[in-house]
Amino acid sequence: MAAMGQQYRPGAPDANFLWSVFQRVDKDRSGIISDMELQQALSNGTWTPFNPATVRSILSMFDRENKGGVNFNEFTGVWKYISDWQNVFRTYDRDNSGMIDKNELKQALTGFGYRLSEQFYDILIRKFDRQGRGQVAFDDFIQCCVVLQRLTDIFRRYDTDQDGWIQVSYEQYLSMVFSIV
Amino acid sequence: MAYPGQPGYYQGGYGGAPGGPAFPGQAQDPLYGYFAAVAGQDGQIDADELQRCLTQSGIAGGYKPFNLETCRLMISMLDRDMSGTMGFNEFKELWAVLNGWRQHFMGFDNDRSGSVDRQELEKALTNMGFRLSPQAVAAIAKRYSTHGKITFDDYIACCVKLRALTESFRRRDAAQQGFVNFQYDDFIQCVMSI
Repeated sequence: MAAMGQQYRPGAPDANFLWSVFQRVDKDRSGIISDMELQQALSNGTWTPFNPATVRSILSMFDRENKGGVNFNEFTGVWKYISDWQNVFRTYDRDNSGMIDKNELKQALTGFGYRLSEQFYDILIRKFDRQGRGQVAFDDFIQCCVVLQRLTDIFRRYDTDQDGWIQVSYEQYLSMVFSIV
Repeated sequence: MAYPGQPGYYQGGYGGAPGGPAFPGQAQDPLYGYFAAVAGQDGQIDADELQRCLTQSGIAGGYKPFNLETCRLMISMLDRDMSGTMGFNEFKELWAVLNGWRQHFMGFDNDRSGSVDRQELEKALTNMGFRLSPQAVAAIAKRYSTHGKITFDDYIACCVKLRALTESFRRRDAAQQGFVNFQYDDFIQCVMSI
């Protein structure tokens, strides 16, 4: 399953190839790929639109000027980012079903270094599975991992003595978390 | 320590059965009608069914119905057994809370346009008892506004999330000291459960 109907090429893709992809995705030829354009170009393997929250997460990571989209230079980063996620997804979708089930999710997150309880995986699937099949599709899988990463990052920022514990007031808690979940 | 109170709590006179729908008085409860129409044998509803229930009951008044993500948030706000579903008593509690929030919103939406501006949201949050710094309120308002306006649905989503977060914090601050110690795994799981 490839995004944008292109074959996956290992290693650094050449600039011409990426430029042709960029042009095709940038439908209104504005020189910037918007949320909508990126969403239309991506596939999650379910015949339903790619998760807009995931699209926003990805674009905000690479849009250095807060312009609401990415130019060609930034797009090369987006392309690599998505290719990397495709690899990860393929690695953990062991039964090749096109979806990641609870066990596969457990393998993936444990592989990334998280140590989470059994019950928590049910919570994660319930929270991120937009297809309602008790499994996560490609776009929801990315969103799940991105949110987990953001929470980890913000926790680390508060954990100044790095002992795995933080103490937060009500307001700190709200401001830490509100924008992420 | 300031935790937000609940505005306009609906004083229903209905007998509340501790759990399932098999209580005689409940059949007359109009709310129960909407609930039973979507709940199955187990007397529980999920986010999808909640959305249907709320739409049919007209809680949104003249406003657009709630989107699915907001409904999912509502369930998690009251989901004490972490089942991802809601029973009738929780539904009634939600109904009362939503009513209160809607009254608040209508109080600000003078022209009945279905949306309010950021300053009005900030005022509403303060009036609801959320003791937040001006920066926190401004950040929240910014997050929920589209072109400087907040629709009813987004307003509710904001309130639900605030309340869910407040509940999750309060549950861990048993001594009511106003701060909580989080270990990493606990933090992740606590926040993700919202």
